[in-house]
Amino acid sequence: MSERQARRGGGRDSKRAARQVSQTKQAAFIERRIPYFELLDEASLALIEDNADTLLEEIGIDFRDDPEALSLLKAGGADIQGERVRFPRGLCRSIIQATAPKEFIQHARNPERSTVIGGRRMVLAPAYGSPFVRDLDKGRRYASIEDFRNFVKLAYMSPGLHHSGGTVCEPVDLPVNKRHFDMIYSHLKYSDKPFMGSVTHHSRAQDTVDMAKIVFGEAFATNNCVTTSLINANSPMTYDDTMLGALKVYARNMQATVISPFILSGAMSPVTVVGTATQILAEALAGMAFAQLVRPGAPVVFGTFSSAVSMQSGAPTFGGPEPSLVMYTVAALARRLGVPFRSGGGLCASKLADAQAAYEAANTLQTAALAGVNFMLHTAGWLEGGLVMGYEKFMMDVDQANMLSVLLGGVDMSENGQALEAFREVGPGKHFLGAAHTQRNFETAFYRSTLADNNSFEQWTEEGGQDMAQRANTQWKRVLADYELPPMDPAIDEALLEFIAKRKADFPDKDY
Amino acid sequence: MAEDYDDDELILAELDDEELVAQMHDDLYDGLKDEIVEGVNILLERGWGADKVLTEALVEGMRIVGVDFRDGILFVPEVLLAANAMKGGMAILRPLLAETGAKPIGKMVIGTVKGDIHDIGKNLVTMMMEGAGFEVIDLGINNSVDDYLNALEEHKPDILGMSALLTTTMPYMKVVIDALVEKGIREDYIVLVGGAPLNEEFGKAVGADAYCRDAASASSTGVAMVQQRQAA
Repeated sequence: MSERQARRGGGRDSKRAARQVSQTKQAAFIERRIPYFELLDEASLALIEDNADTLLEEIGIDFRDDPEALSLLKAGGADIQGERVRFPRGLCRSIIQATAPKEFIQHARNPERSTVIGGRRMVLAPAYGSPFVRDLDKGRRYASIEDFRNFVKLAYMSPGLHHSGGTVCEPVDLPVNKRHFDMIYSHLKYSDKPFMGSVTHHSRAQDTVDMAKIVFGEAFATNNCVTTSLINANSPMTYDDTMLGALKVYARNMQATVISPFILSGAMSPVTVVGTATQILAEALAGMAFAQLVRPGAPVVFGTFSSAVSMQSGAPTFGGPEPSLVMYTVAALARRLGVPFRSGGGLCASKLADAQAAYEAANTLQTAALAGVNFMLHTAGWLEGGLVMGYEKFMMDVDQANMLSVLLGGVDMSENGQALEAFREVGPGKHFLGAAHTQRNFETAFYRSTLADNNSFEQWTEEGGQDMAQRANTQWKRVLADYELPPMDPAIDEALLEFIAKRKADFPDKDY
Repeated sequence: MAEDYDDDELILAELDDEELVAQMHDDLYDGLKDEIVEGVNILLERGWGADKVLTEALVEGMRIVGVDFRDGILFVPEVLLAANAMKGGMAILRPLLAETGAKPIGKMVIGTVKGDIHDIGKNLVTMMMEGAGFEVIDLGINNSVDDYLNALEEHKPDILGMSALLTTTMPYMKVVIDALVEKGIREDYIVLVGGAPLNEEFGKAVGADAYCRDAASASSTGVAMVQQRQAA
């Protein structure tokens, strides 16, 4: 008697499994196939560049409390008066264009996750720097290292995010001078996506590099970019010794830095779009040229964080049209300079994952995609002007981020895309739902939101009548429950833990 | 610009006391420093005491400014002008108040903590406190425990204000307050803390008297606490 025939496969179980996950595939980056939204003409952009040169030549930039930086800048051709650094016209541009890469690979410990920053690519990373976290269950509270690990895990599990980010929240429960060890370890251990290093002290930047060397190998990490870190200008027109110290460590080790003017327009820059863009360009030029003077060829990203302050209260505002105009303008300036561009994010001022949060974030995310941002920090989780990392908001932003890859993918002009065959098959007065063309394409034809509810009122009511934040609450808990640790060579893990234990024993805990 | 007044016509000295004080409230509101200085001098020439000028003309005028700032009628740049006008009036009154032995509204030492050079918020608080009639000694940025202790010793203020923007520098506030406790002088001062990454819970945890969420609340909290202390 022959054995019972095995089942064919397919059927209910496999389809249920396939349909309940995000259709977004994990990629190393988004490849852009649509044009940039160009706001200004050649003459306007050239005028801003000329004005930025005037700012650099006439007013200058302060490089504070770092004599070594001043001597490097002097040797590079800048004029130094005290801590004020003035640059002859065109100097910064020529230094940057001579040696800064137009694009670069940031390696991840999983080679499939190694990403490319620059060119026609977009890399999405979670929000950065919040001291607080919020969720529906426990409300607003100071972030802990457990929250930090949770957000690393959520970013790892989100196929629309290509990067693990850096300070996904600030683990305020750990001592200031040692928390970076646990933060970097969390990125290395709980994710295999590329990550950002510590910048709050030059020694912490060095610890980041040393830990990366344990994971990537000394030789590899010496010659390749394995971490990208955020260096903020202290706008207006100031770099401080903390940021310069971290910048020098990363540049000397051939690691990437995102040189970011941090602008709340009206307080830290003039109130106009052109004035703000001019200042951003000048500050970024000075910082990136400095990085090239430290180590020619070290990867740099032209960063821009630009928002506005309420003239009524002084509070930062987000998602308005003027910062979008600034972003379009500065993106074009970065392309003309020939370096990767960082900006954007799911920015908002809302306290909750509500309508304000969603539409302010959507405004900035869409602008970033159209403007041509290469590296988008703050893609997911941002609430309350960056003071709060929201669990529910994170899931909502990830849904938005997933859509960007479809938008940037552009229009399919193939024979299948043209769909003439579908017209021939269906003809007038019928419907397309069962057509062969539809059968072949329906599954990926439209972006399926992971959170939006499009059901009838009755079905929505039967399922609990939940709003988006409630659905997102269920979702992040399920994602964390489904999380599985990416594999890591136990010898590397052990070496990392040994390094951390030894370094932590080197000096006492301090809260400053 | 269409305005519903014509200041070319107005001669302050021709107004009676009541009208002049009302006009000074408007001039403070509009941030007219020269006019406030002139108004203060006229009232003094008419025999008003410095404390009466301060209370009825300036403090009341700035109270109105504060209300309309809170309500979103006045914008930040306008409040800056108003505070600057107030400062002009105070420059005349302060030495006179000291001579008469009248209690000054208050004195504050303020600065950002060690490691933190972000001072826009601190500068707004300084402006608002000066607008409320306080004398403010601004220590600037990046202050160590010794910087604060020396300034407290030298200026003997009512209030010590500390601010931070960074999560990595805000714990230094506790270091400063612990030093005050250790020296047995913590109770000599009202300690106010502020900055974006702080909250009420943090203010309590480091041992401050209050956390102030913005410049306007720093000024109202500071004024109320100093009055309370002077009344006690």
